Amino acid sequence: MAVPTAPAPAPAGTARSTAPAVEVVDLQRRYGDFTAVRGISFEVHPGEVFALLGVNGAGKTSALEVLEGLADPDGGSVRVLGADPVAERARVRPHLGVLLQSSGLPGDLTVAETVRTWGRTLTAPRPVDEALDQVGLTGRADVRVRSLSGGERRRLDLALALLGRPSVVVLDEPTTGLDPESRRQVWRLVQDMVAGGAAVVLTTHHLEEAEELADRVAVLKAGQIVLSGTQAEIAETQPATIRFTLDEGAPLPPQPAGVQVVSTAPRVEWHTRALQPVLADLLGWAARHGVVLHALHARAASLEQAFLAVADGTHDAA
Amino acid sequence: MTATLTTPTDQRGPSRASRVRALATAETRLLLRNRTAVVNSVLLPLLLVAAIPFLGIGEDIAGFGPTLVISGAAVALVFLVYYNTVTTFVARREDLTLQRMRTGELTGLEVLVATAAPSVLIALGQVLLTGVGVLAIGRWEAPTEYVLPLVALFAGAVLVVLLGAVSTAFTRTPESAQVTTFPFVMIALLLSGLMIPLASMPDQLAQVARLLPMTPVVELLRLGLAGQAWDGATVDAAGAWAAGLQPLGVLVAWLLLGSLAARRWFRWAPRR
Repeated sequence: MAVPTAPAPAPAGTARSTAPAVEVVDLQRRYGDFTAVRGISFEVHPGEVFALLGVNGAGKTSALEVLEGLADPDGGSVRVLGADPVAERARVRPHLGVLLQSSGLPGDLTVAETVRTWGRTLTAPRPVDEALDQVGLTGRADVRVRSLSGGERRRLDLALALLGRPSVVVLDEPTTGLDPESRRQVWRLVQDMVAGGAAVVLTTHHLEEAEELADRVAVLKAGQIVLSGTQAEIAETQPATIRFTLDEGAPLPPQPAGVQVVSTAPRVEWHTRALQPVLADLLGWAARHGVVLHALHARAASLEQAFLAVADGTHDAA
Repeated sequence: MTATLTTPTDQRGPSRASRVRALATAETRLLLRNRTAVVNSVLLPLLLVAAIPFLGIGEDIAGFGPTLVISGAAVALVFLVYYNTVTTFVARREDLTLQRMRTGELTGLEVLVATAAPSVLIALGQVLLTGVGVLAIGRWEAPTEYVLPLVALFAGAVLVVLLGAVSTAFTRTPESAQVTTFPFVMIALLLSGLMIPLASMPDQLAQVARLLPMTPVVELLRLGLAGQAWDGATVDAAGAWAAGLQPLGVLVAWLLLGSLAARRWFRWAPRR
C-alpha cells in the first residue's frame, strides 16, 4: 500500500481532488562541499505540467536525479506516487517515464530493434508501431541509430521514455536540439499525456516552452526556488511595460503616478503595475492633444521578463 | 485519493530472466554486427584450436587433450570474457547507454548480467568446441571428476565479469582497456599455472600464485579434467575433491572481494 502523505496546501484558486503524484519536501543535494540543491519543495498533481526553470548549474538536473531514483537525497524527501523512488524502485519504475538530459543508445541497433528491446523490459509497453508513430519515426524504423540526426535521436529517446505508458513523466530538457516543428510535436505529445492524466515534471531553457506547456513554474537559482506559482502569478511579480514613439516636437505626456520611466522621448518606455489606468490616461491625453503614439505597445509582464529579472539578480550577486 | 501505486494485479511485468534475455539478445546482435569483435572473440580462437593438430605441438605429451581443453577454457575466460566485459561496459558507460538503462525497470544487476552475457555464452561455446575438436583428433581422455571443472568454468566466468566491472573504474575509454587489462591478463597467463606449471615454480612463489584470482580456476580445471594437482601429483576423484578445497575457498574469497569492489567502484556515468 502506498503510504498516505499529507497534501500540502494547493496553490490559490485551484481545487485539488487528488493526492500529488510527485511530492518534494526540502530536498537537498551535496557534492562534497558544494551544495547543488538547497532545500526545495514542490508538488505535481496528475494532469499537471510543472516546469523547473533556471540557468545552467542552477541545480535542475541534480534535483531531477532524485525523482528519477538515480540518486539519494542528502536531505529532505521525495515521493513519487507516494513511494520512495530509490528504496521502492521496483514499485515506482513501472509508472515512471524518464528522459535524461543526455543519454546514449548503441549505434548499431535499428530504431525498431531499440524500441522492441526496451519494450521487452517493461511491464506494459506500447506496441512498437504506436511508439514510433507517436514521435514521427515510423519511416525511420529500419535505420540504425548511428545514422539518425540529433533531433531524430532525441525523439527516439522520448519514445523510449514514454514506452511504458507512464503516469509520472520526468523530462530533462526534452526539446533541446530539436527543430521548431519537432518541438511542437513534442509539445503536443506532452499535452496528450497530461490530458490522459499523467503528471509531468520538465526542465527547460526555453521560456516559450514553459509558457506553452506548464501549469505551474518554479525558477531555480543557485539551488533554491526563488519564484514559483502559475505563470500569471509569476508574471505579476514584474511590472507591465508601455512603449511608444513620439514625433519630433510633439508635447510630452504628463507622467502618471506609479510609473517608472525607463526611457524618455522620442522613444518612451514606462514600467507600471497599473497597466490599465495608466494606459487609459495616456490614450485619453493623446486623443485630447491630437498626438500620435507610434508603435504603441502595452504588455503585461511575461514569464520571460520575470525569469530575466531573476537571472539579472544572479548577475548582480556574482 | 488516488495517485498512488496502482499496479493492477493482472498486469505483472516481465520476469527478471526475460528482462535480461531481452537486453542480452540486443547485446548479442550488437556483438555480431561488430566485425572486430567477431574476429577477435569468435574466429581467432577457433582458428587457433583448429590449427593445433597441424602444428603438432606437444602431441607426444601425455594429457595433451585435457591440457588443450584447460587452456582453451582459461584463455576464453581471460581474453574473451574479461577483456570484452571491460571494453563493453566502458563503451556503454561513455556513450551514456548504461545511465539510460538504469532509468527503466531493469535493475543495475540485470543490466550488467545482460551486457556480459554474450561474451560468457561465446566462451562456453568455445570450450565446448575445443572439447569436440579434441575428441575429433582422438585425444579425449575421460575426466577424473566432472563437478570441479564445471564449477571452475561457471564461477570463473562470474569472477572475470566482476573483475572486468572493477577494471572499468580505472578505464576511461574502450581503447585504453588494452593497457588497463594488461596486469590481470599477465597475472592470469604467467602465474595461474596456465603457461608455467606451478610445480616448476619456487615453492614460496607457487603458494603466493595460488592465492591469485585465476589460479584456482586453472587448478580446479586441471584436477577434474587431467586428475592432476597443482604440485603435479596424480589424483583420483576423491583426491581431486580433497585437493580442490583450497582453490574452491580462494575462488569464493575472490568472488566476494570482486562483488564488493564492483559495488564500491563501478560507475554508471562518465566522470565529468
